Formats: sequence, structure tokens, C-alpha cells
Amino acid sequence: MTIQTQGGVDPTLQRTITARVNGRDVSGVVDTRTTLADWLRDELDLVSVHLGCEHGVCGCCTILLDGQSVRACLMLAAQVNGRDVETVESLSSDQTKLHPIQEAFQEEHGLQCGFCTPAMVLRTKEILADGRERTDEEVRQDISGILCRCTGYQNIINSVQCAARKLRAGSPAPIAAGTGTGGSSDQNPGA
Amino acid sequence: MKPPRFAYYDPDTVAEAVELKARFETDAVVLAGGQSLVPMLATRLAKPDALLDINRISSLQQLEVGPTHVEFGALVRQYQLETDPLVARNVPLLAAVTHYIGHVENRHRGTVGGSLAHADSAAELPTAAVTLDAEMVIEGPAGRRVEAARDFFAGWMTSTIAPDELLVAVRFPITPADAGWGFVEVARREGDFALAAAAAQLRLDEAGRVSEIAIGLASISDRPLRATEVEAQLLGQLPTADAVAVAARAIEEQVTASDDMHATHSYRRHLAATVTQRAVLEAVGRAQEGNRS
Amino acid sequence: MTSDTTNDAFNDALARAAEAAAPSGGQVKRKYIGRSMKRVEDPRLLTGRGGFIADQKIAGLTHAAIFRSPVAHGRIVSIDATAALAIPGVIAVVTGEDCRAKMNPCMNFGPSTIPQYPLAVDKVRYVGEAVVAVIADTRYLAEDGVDALDVEFEELPPVVNPFKALEADAALLHEGHGSNLAYERSFTFGEVDEAFERADLVVSDTLHWGRSAGMPLETTGAIGKPGLNGVLEIYCNSMNFSYFVWLIATALKLPSNRVTINPVPAGGSFGSKFTAHKVPTLAGFLALQVNRPVSYVEDRLDHLMNSDHHASDRYYEAKLALTCDGTIVGMDVDVVDDYGAYLQFGVGTHGNALSQGVGPYNFNNLRYHLRAVLTNKCQQGAYRGFGSEVHNWVLERLVDQAAEKLGMAPEVIRRKNFIQPEQFPHKIPGGNLYDSGDYEAVLDKALSMIDLEHWRKEKKRLREEENRYIGIGLVTTQERSVFSSTEFWYWFDEPAFPITSSPESATITIDPSGEFQVLLHSQAMWGNSPETVAAMVVAEEFGVEPDKVNIRYADSAHALPGTGPGGSRFTVMVTGAIRGAAKKLQKKIIEIAAHTLEVPPEDMEITDARVQVKGAPEVGLSLGEVAATAYFFALNLPPGMTSGLEEQHTYDHPLTTLPSPDRSDLGIFYPIMGHNCHIAVMEVDPDTGMTTWLDYVAVHDAGTIVNPITLGGHVTGGTAQGVGTALLEELAYDEDGQFKSSTFLDYLIPTANEIPAMKLGHVETPSPYTEYGIKGGGEGGRMATPGVISAAIDDALREFGMHVQNLPVKPSDIVATVLAAREQQKEQRS
Repeated sequence: MTIQTQGGVDPTLQRTITARVNGRDVSGVVDTRTTLADWLRDELDLVSVHLGCEHGVCGCCTILLDGQSVRACLMLAAQVNGRDVETVESLSSDQTKLHPIQEAFQEEHGLQCGFCTPAMVLRTKEILADGRERTDEEVRQDISGILCRCTGYQNIINSVQCAARKLRAGSPAPIAAGTGTGGSSDQNPGA
Repeated sequence: MKPPRFAYYDPDTVAEAVELKARFETDAVVLAGGQSLVPMLATRLAKPDALLDINRISSLQQLEVGPTHVEFGALVRQYQLETDPLVARNVPLLAAVTHYIGHVENRHRGTVGGSLAHADSAAELPTAAVTLDAEMVIEGPAGRRVEAARDFFAGWMTSTIAPDELLVAVRFPITPADAGWGFVEVARREGDFALAAAAAQLRLDEAGRVSEIAIGLASISDRPLRATEVEAQLLGQLPTADAVAVAARAIEEQVTASDDMHATHSYRRHLAATVTQRAVLEAVGRAQEGNRS
Repeated sequence: MTSDTTNDAFNDALARAAEAAAPSGGQVKRKYIGRSMKRVEDPRLLTGRGGFIADQKIAGLTHAAIFRSPVAHGRIVSIDATAALAIPGVIAVVTGEDCRAKMNPCMNFGPSTIPQYPLAVDKVRYVGEAVVAVIADTRYLAEDGVDALDVEFEELPPVVNPFKALEADAALLHEGHGSNLAYERSFTFGEVDEAFERADLVVSDTLHWGRSAGMPLETTGAIGKPGLNGVLEIYCNSMNFSYFVWLIATALKLPSNRVTINPVPAGGSFGSKFTAHKVPTLAGFLALQVNRPVSYVEDRLDHLMNSDHHASDRYYEAKLALTCDGTIVGMDVDVVDDYGAYLQFGVGTHGNALSQGVGPYNFNNLRYHLRAVLTNKCQQGAYRGFGSEVHNWVLERLVDQAAEKLGMAPEVIRRKNFIQPEQFPHKIPGGNLYDSGDYEAVLDKALSMIDLEHWRKEKKRLREEENRYIGIGLVTTQERSVFSSTEFWYWFDEPAFPITSSPESATITIDPSGEFQVLLHSQAMWGNSPETVAAMVVAEEFGVEPDKVNIRYADSAHALPGTGPGGSRFTVMVTGAIRGAAKKLQKKIIEIAAHTLEVPPEDMEITDARVQVKGAPEVGLSLGEVAATAYFFALNLPPGMTSGLEEQHTYDHPLTTLPSPDRSDLGIFYPIMGHNCHIAVMEVDPDTGMTTWLDYVAVHDAGTIVNPITLGGHVTGGTAQGVGTALLEELAYDEDGQFKSSTFLDYLIPTANEIPAMKLGHVETPSPYTEYGIKGGGEGGRMATPGVISAAIDDALREFGMHVQNLPVKPSDIVATVLAAREQQKEQRS
């Protein structure tokens, strides 16, 4: 049993943790009841980790833990001591230089309010890691653990496929703005 | 929705964990994958004095294939059950049912032991354990004991784990090569708890008659149940579509779940028979295919 | 129309609206409007910097948590906060008694005999109603404080069923109102009884539309912060209407210039944040009590139980009268709406129904009898469609039933009854006006995108060969847009505040270096695309690239009159505002350039961010050069002109008229009329009750399209919400008034797996009354989807007598029908 003595602080109530977060080693003192999501948001200012339900259903707080998608609201911060954590800020936090997956979501209108978006983008990164081509129905299944209330998912599926093409091509922007169809088979609305 | 204050312990060994359980008894809860427990903390339905996080206990993370059984440490993640070829090869039904647990984000963290100890009758792993006659390995101050899955589930969200005990592993018998299996679940949405689900595994003799059969049902009672009457009716019989349909009706008498907002009692009765029938036919199909090849 | 005077006013209004919107000279070729544009809002959202309410970092911020009523109906006997206040970090405990002592009741468009406060006073009236607020250093500690409260209730009989609520011996929710009938009114337009008497066929139905909600993934939240000069600053994600601040200031007993509301982006609303006033009122009140900044962000349990935005929960007896050839001649609607414990928006959701009471069909006789009932449930608010989508469902259910009785295909009976293109502008019974439309074009387009004959054959084949059950549904429904505020009060003969304004405003600034800033008013980004729309209109008007335009939102202290998003009005209204400001700015630019270049102003035009001489583009100035002159060289400006390059414009509702005093005519209040046709092919498993999608087509007409890709997003998103309403989502109470849907494990929002792959199409019938001819399209698929799903399920299981009457239709409902039919078939055989 590891009991860290921290200047008289009760280790059952507080811990010092060190984790690799978005490629940087981060240390901090946390209350043992603090959730991972709250630690990332409140202490590390990674506010992309959105709290939608805080009981593990909506998926808006999804992060990558050692490369795997998990609900950050269902873990305690103390549990990531020594682990690797990734939030959407790891792809790009520069609004003028988006990661190809982020670009794909913008081009295909895969977001409206943006609340599930960081989770969807991270999940996209995870599922595309194997480089395999997927059918739309496979993508639909793959993203089904994260709720989106705005898009009806169709343009998220299009975004994932667009991101896959970009990543396979290895080029940052093969698709020009304005080619999205809004999920429509009708390329010329009103024509 | 923030967890209440608790004393957090993260023991390195089973012995330490058992010692803590003995100390706190019912005032402590065990944190494994957290996919059911942490929501209960967040809603403050659970307000334990102590939280025993067993995730650091490396001995609980082993998956071992023995001569007759596969033993899963309590902390083996559900995602591994779903994706590890060793599981698909040796206990294919287990791999198949695991896919229906929540969503992949839950299965990345959720554990075998956590789901079994939580003992939700609507959950997939308890149903698979009952169907496949799994054995629970439980450690307490007096040492280890082994309990059959059928005896382990003791009522609504209740198992026979004593307050000073810890579920450390579960052993699933290796599935015979000629066995066929099937699993059918109906839920409001994919990933939700089952309104009803049936797991079936069976073998056929040379004449094509059922020589062994096990059927387990989720979400029809306060605990996962074996469909004993359906099994009895089919044993020794040719599993034709009609025979299976008729036999499956016998499960209706075992349905005790009352109405809730997602399903009425009478719906569950019909659904239980429907999923039983379909799971058995799926198993028959696989067994016949296996026998042909 | 009741008199010639009304008639004249009506015609004048039409003429003025058409003139105001007329394109200035010929068909204009547009460069940006109509093109799919990447949204300018996206980069910050994609990098996780949406600036949502919970992301706001304010020094010294404290956090509130709420004790929610565990009982449906009861008197608050005592509140003991001793243990809570003893917790280190707990700052204060605030109760309804504090509210009663220091506040006025909250905003309320319903009867004044049904007042409400942000914390319950004396009584609790539903499970989840806020009773006590605990303020602490952290949310964790605030929840510890809530846990430590000891609140005692004297339980009263719960009033759950709205019909029982109307019985004489029912317990009263509001003793001061004297009845659980909050409101009753009957409107008869045309000769309804005569129409039914001479009808060849009358179909009737008993229907229940169950309670669901917008349920955005971000909850409602607010921060109250005591600021300088005694000004209370409120940050909230629910600001719309410029008078929101006035309503909240009134509740807090502060002069309106001592409250400033800072609009914060919302992680979705769908109506749920529409004038959600209690949360900001409470956050402001709490901040005043402790004189510190206080954050109150609902958690999911709060939002599910206490959002003040549960949606329609209606019980119908509805009838449709037809002639034998399928011509609809009248409709008679008797509706009881279970509004819950309060009536904050009056009965506006039924005004929405009356805005398109006849749907796309050509009939003139309509009766609408409404009883709004109080029960021990969370009160209703807004949800995408605001009650008009419910009426769509009822009408389409009746039309489908009539088609079946007459042996007509669903597309045939609808085509027979469509209002024809030459009939627009078309005044419907009740008084609202449909501006334009081509409903056959929409239907034809939808039919061209799906092979109905194939599916009809396939349905037969699958049934015969594989024992599978396929159903096809088709509906054609209206999507009214751009409400006028007269709809808030025409229900009442003596309204307290008969408001007629519902404008939108914009300010365009070209800074000294020629860069564009646009200021929007009385709103924030709610998941719609206000910044992209604004940027596109500015780009269209000045020829700048849209992503060069920066968009900001005014706080209430700087806000011009505005109404904000709601009722699919934003794109139409803000385009009017921006275009109005642009015209003023263009005039000034041209005058400066003409003066500088010594050219007559009428010879100049603005193209590609330049002002230049028509036909001689080399003679001109960049907007930057004009701007430099405007800001720094006053002596070079035309005589009398003042410095600067900024204009604002307030765009009033383009077409609205007053209701007649006797309410025989409700006036024009929702005239910009969109339309759609949805067709669904579904498979239903009769033994599990589960449904799967085989095909889905949605064609919408939202007038001139601004941005096709975002309009498509509204259609798909609205359709997904319609799927939820029709099949999954339910805010359920048991017979004791206990709330059964208190987590996302029981309130079932569709995942990607439950949503069909959709084929989208668009038809563009421009509005004659709006800038560019735009119509609203924000409420999207939800206007149609519940109807098309009901129709497809019925069609699949017709041999079992399936008839969807209750939403959501659950697997157990479907199987119960199938089993009963089988039982009956068995009896008949024996």
C-alpha cells in the first residue's frame, strides 16, 4: 500500500499526482474525491472536457487515457497518477492551425453547438488510428458512445470519413471549403 | 453531481484489500472500473466511508488459459474480453456478450469482476456466467473460496460476497469445439441495459439431437436465471424451429420483473420467449455448422 | 376578416412588407448567399474553447447547489440548515422565504394568480422543484451542504393525471388561482359545424403526445457578480430578448440600469434555454445575498427535473371532415395540455399550433378548444416546434386515417388538398398568413429521391417470402417561422402587456484600417450559426471574405432592441438588420468616396471591398482608404458629415398585424411559412417491437437558402430529435408524481445507432416579405418526423390493426397490439 506522507495531509483525502497530459508532465495536489474531468477542467484549464451528465452516459467528457477513450467523469483524478491523458487540445489548440481531423469536422459541418465536439474529435482520432477504411455504418457504430443533440450524427459520420481520407492522404487539406453537402444527395439545392 | 467525501485507499495487494474490507465492512465500496459505482457516487446514492480502489493490484489483471478453464482476474477489462483472440477462441459466447455492455468507452474501463460483483440482473456478464457455469473465486480473511455462478447471484443487485471478502477472479469453462452458442439482446438503444437477453450454448449428438444445453436470461427477474424448463424440454430433442419455439414459451413462467417505464411485465414475458427462441436457434445453427465442418 | 377597415390594414401591411423586401432592380447574382460556407464559429469549438458558462473563470467565484423537492406536492414545514452551515467552506443557505422577502415573483406570461419564485415559497409543486440553495467555495462543498440539510414537508395529495386534476375534489396546486384549470378558450374559425354536417367522411382520433424536452447536452447556467456602481452583472447562457434584463431586474427589485446581462454561448438549446430566466435570476439573487460572485450551473439531475422546459404533454380528441373524393373541409380539435405546475409562457405553444392550423391544406373551417391544466410536474417551456409540431402530428395522423378509409395513397390525398402556388399570400382560418409556397414541388422532389414503387413491392415480397414487416410513411407539414410578439397575448381578451415589437438589431463597424466588426444584440451563439450568417451577409453586401469579418455580441447595457433565436426567426431577422445597417454604411462610404474622387455618388458602387466608379473600376478607393478618411480626416469629409464608419439598424418584424378585438381574427403573427415532405421506410419486428431504418428522405423549403450545409444540419438534427420524441424520449411521472426519468439511463436520447441515414433535398420558394427571400428553417426535421414514424409503424403492422396514438411509441406498445391481434385471430379461427 502506498501511503504518501504529505506534510501531515491525510493521503486518503489528498494526493499528489503526476500525469502526462497532452505530452507534458503535470503534477498537482488533488482531493481524492475529485473526478478526473474536474481536475482537467479546474486545475489544468482544459475546459474542452465538457460535463454533460456526470454519470457516464453522454460522453461529452471523453478523453484518451493511454490512447483509449474513457469517460473522464467516471474516473478520479488520483487514478491517473503515472498515466497518459489526452484532450482535444493535444490535436491543436491553435484556432488558426487546426489538425486535419478538426478541419474535417469544420468542412463537413460535423458540429453545431460544439459541446460534444471535443469528445467526437478525440474518438475520431482513436478509431482512425488503425488506418482501416470503414463503411458509414461502421462509423455510426463507432461513434455511438457519445451523444450529439444537434447534428443528427450524419455530418459527424461524414466528418470522420473526411478525416480518414485526409489522414490517409497525409495532406492537410485536400478538400476545399464549400464542397460540403450537408449530408445531402442533393448537390445543387434549389436547382 | 459530485462524489461525497470518502477515505480513499488504493492497496497494492489482495491481502491489503481484504484487510481493508474487513476493517470497514459495509462502510466500504470497491472501485474497479467505476462505470456503475462512480455514477452512484455522483448522484450520492452511494455514500461510503471508504473507497477501496483495487486498480493497482496487478495480480487481478491476469488472464490465464488453463486446461479446462480460462481464469480472468477481476480487473481484466471488458474491452479485452471483447477483443482478445484468446477469449474468442476459448469462450466465444463470453466475447460475444461483452460487445453489448454499454459503449466501448465504458468497456475500456469496465472490468469483469466489477460487473459480476455489481450483480445487475440486466447485465450481460452475470448472464454469461450463469449460462456457462462459471466459478467465482472469492478471497476473505479465511482464504479463498470458489462459488458457482448460479449460487453467487443472491437477489436484486446482491451477491454472496461477504463484507470482508473480495471477488478476485472468475473461471469460465473452455467451450467444447463442437458447441454452438447464441446471444440475443433487446434494449431500447444499443448499449442500454437489456429489456431481455438470452444466452444459449448447446451441443448436438450424431443424430442432431440436443445432448447438452444451457440457456441464461437477463432482466426477467431479480437475478440472471437459467431457463431450466426450456433446457429440459429441448434436451434429447431435435431442435427444429417449431420445437424451439414451443419450448421457449416455457421461460414466460420464470419472468417476475414488474412493469417499469421501458417495459411492461407482459411484454417482458413475450420478449423473454422471443430472445430465448432466437438465441437457441442461433446456437443450433452454429452447432450444426460446427458439426458439418 | 371582419370589416373593410381590417381589410385595408391587412392589404396595406402586405404591400408595405413586399415593398420593403423588394430587390432593388432586377435579379441579383449572389456571391455568398446560397453557397455552403465553413462556419466561422467552428475553430474555437474544435479546440475546446467554446467559452461556455462552466468555462468562465472569475476570481473569487463561489458555487451554488440546489436542494430539490423529493415530494410531488407538499407544504414546506421546516428547513434546518445548522449542519450544512457547519461544514467548512459552506458560505450561506438561501430559501424561498428569502425570495419572498426580497424579490418580486419571476417573469410570467401566464395568469398572475400562478406566481413563481426561483426557490419554492410555502409549497412545493413537483418533484425536483428547487427549495434551498447552498453556496460554498466549491460545487463539491455546496453539494455536501445540500446533503446536510434537514427539510421537512407535509405531503399533500399529488395531482398527476390532468383529467383528474379537473375533477371537483382534486387538490389545488395554486389556491390563489382557485382551480387547476389554468386557462380555457375555444376558437371557431369558419363554419365548422356545417362542414362536419355536410361531410361524407369524418375521421376522429384520441391521441397523446408525451412529454419530452430539448435536453441540450449543456445545461442552463448563470453567474451573478456584484459589479461597479451597484450594477449586478449576470453571465448566462439563456439570454434572448432585449427585455430579458428588464424582466430579471424587476424580479430582483433593481432598476434595469443596475443589471447587466452578458450573453454566454450555449451548448445547445432547442428551446430549452429560450428565456430560461429562473437560473440567471437565482444566480443574481444569490450573488446579492452573499455579495460575492456565485455560479449556479444546473447539473443533469437539476435539468431533467427542474429545467422549466419540459415540452408539450397533450391529450387530443381530434376530428377531420372530408368529402368522398378526399377533400378536407374542416377540423375540430379538443386538446387538454398538461402544463405542469406553472404557466410561464401562457399558452403560447397553442398559438404556434394555430399559426399553421390547417397545415399545407386548403380548408377554411377550424375549431380549437384548449384546456391548460396544472399538475404536479415540472412546467412546460419551449422545444423545437413550440407546440406547432404537435399539431402537425395530429393533423397528419388524421389525414393518414382518412386516406386509409378512402383507399387513397398518402401522397395522393395530400396532393389533392394542397394550397396551390397561385393562392399565396394565403390567409388561413384564424388569421395568420402563409407568404408563399409550392407544396407539390416539395412532394415531387421527395418522391423523386426515393423509389416508392420499389419499396411497396418489397414490402409485399418480404411479408410473403420472409415474414418481415416493412412500413412506409409519408407526411407533408408546415414549418412556420419568424414569430411576432402578438402571439404572446392574443389568447387573452385583456392582455396585461399587448406588446407588438419583436425586432432584431445589428451594428456594423468598419475600423480605421478597413476591417469589419459586427455587433449582434440580445443573444449569443446557441449552436445555430449567427456569426456565419452575419459574416455571409456582410460579405454579400461589401464583397469582403466572410472569414475577415469579426462578430461580437453586445451585453444588455449596450444592446439595441432584439429578440434573439427562437421560432426559426434568427436568420431572417438578423439578415434584415445587417442589410439595413449595410445600406446606411454603403451610403456613407459612397458619399465619402464620391467627395474624395469628385465623382457623382450615383456613379459609384461597392464591389470586392472597394468603392469604385461604375464601368471604370480603376477609379476608386479601398474601404481602408475610405475608413482612414472617415476616422482621421474630418476636413476631407463631405460638409456636415461626422467622423467614424459605423451604422446600426433595427429591423422590425417584416409582416405582422393586430388581432381583432373580438379575436375572430388573430392577425398575422407567423407568416414566413416553410414546408417539408418526409418519407420513411422502416422495418418493425412484431415480436420485439423494435424498429430499424431502411430509407429516409427529407425535402424542405426554407425559401432562399443562405448556407445549404447548415440548413441541412438543422434538418438532420431536427429529424434526430423527432426520432427521440417518437420512439425513445419520455419525461415520465408515476401515479404519485415521482419522477421516473431522472438520469440519462432512463431519458433516452438517440445515439447514432437509432438515427437513419438521410437523403436531403431542398426546394426554394422565396418569401416576398424578407431580405433575399429567406425563410426560417431552424426547427428542421422535428416538424415532420414523429408523424412519418407513426405512419410507417402503422403501415408495417396494419394487419395487426396497429395505430399509433401515443408518443413515444414503445416496443411494449407495439408488441401488446400484435399479441392482442393474434389472440383475436386465434379466437376467430376457433
